[in-house]
Amino acid sequence: MIPAAVLAALSPTGEIPALPLHTAGKYVAGAYIVLFVLVLVYVAIMAVRLSHIEAELGDLLSMTEHSDGEADHAPGAGREHADARDPGAPQLDERRESAPA
Amino acid sequence: MERSTPTGSRPFAYGRGLRTLSICTVLAMAVALGLVFFYAPLEAEQGFLQKIFYVHVPLAIITLCGFVLGGLLAIQHLRTRDQRWDYRSYVVIHMSLIFAIGTLITGSIWAKGSWGHWWVWSEPTLVSFLIIVLLYATYQPLRFAIEDPERQARYASVFAITAGAFVPMNFIAVRLSTAYLHPRVLGSTSNLPGPMALTFLVSLLAMALLFATLCKYELTAKHARAQVRALRRRLAGDTAPGRARSAAPTLQHVGTVPARAAGRSAV
Repeated sequence: MIPAAVLAALSPTGEIPALPLHTAGKYVAGAYIVLFVLVLVYVAIMAVRLSHIEAELGDLLSMTEHSDGEADHAPGAGREHADARDPGAPQLDERRESAPA
Repeated sequence: MERSTPTGSRPFAYGRGLRTLSICTVLAMAVALGLVFFYAPLEAEQGFLQKIFYVHVPLAIITLCGFVLGGLLAIQHLRTRDQRWDYRSYVVIHMSLIFAIGTLITGSIWAKGSWGHWWVWSEPTLVSFLIIVLLYATYQPLRFAIEDPERQARYASVFAITAGAFVPMNFIAVRLSTAYLHPRVLGSTSNLPGPMALTFLVSLLAMALLFATLCKYELTAKHARAQVRALRRRLAGDTAPGRARSAAPTLQHVGTVPARAAGRSAV
């Protein structure tokens, strides 16, 4: 229990606040916890999304590796051939075009 | 170093500057909390309970500004037909809705402490804010109800503009109403003592930065996911856009360069 004199000293005007500190404290804490929880939930959702993107990227990487393996075994398939087709084409396009449909 | 897309156009990255923005947000939040609990004096009438206002009022202001911003971005979408504006409008409204829920909860906590009730139906500010939240709660179902992406974006933009115009009108109407039970903070900052006004302004800035950061995170995450999906389709040899029914706008371009602007069909 906080004495009224202490509360009065805390107030700039010397008046006793409507709600004493020990009563108001839980409401104030509640309000700030709400904000904290909102941000925390958002961060958790973002973490789940990030893990999904990571998993999808892993899948894509294995797909490209698989395509590379097939392209290497295909007759006449080679780096020079791909470069001759379109030297400025990005690597992913080359892989897709090299891979059988 | 600038990288270019396969067509030579400049890539668009939502994640640019995200780290700096995040650091600024964390610093601003820390400073705001420090000022709230160690610098701002106790208010004479409400005492310690008034500290809720440093989180509740900035949340409410940013929410309403976010809704208006969503409308402005939607105007830009209808003007340019650039999908990115619809995408931004969607994210801003989505984030504002989350902030609105925070506003309602913190407001209710304050009302319980101050008035002894979680909710007072006769208070115009509370009810009008709830009406706005309920109005925007229909935004996502509206989007989800329309399957065609073009039509979805167009209708959502019209909704965002109409609802965005309703927000300031509603705010003014509440101000003009006769009941003044709800404490007035906006517009009376000059009446606050210096330390309180400073704390409030820093809290407002921190909340604005938090809003901007979360919006940027959302934009970056959705964009990254769209890019991964587009890449998967390309690797699978499927050039069709492909889209599952969703309320979220679909970014069909890997580099997010609008098809019309780039003068080519979407990837």
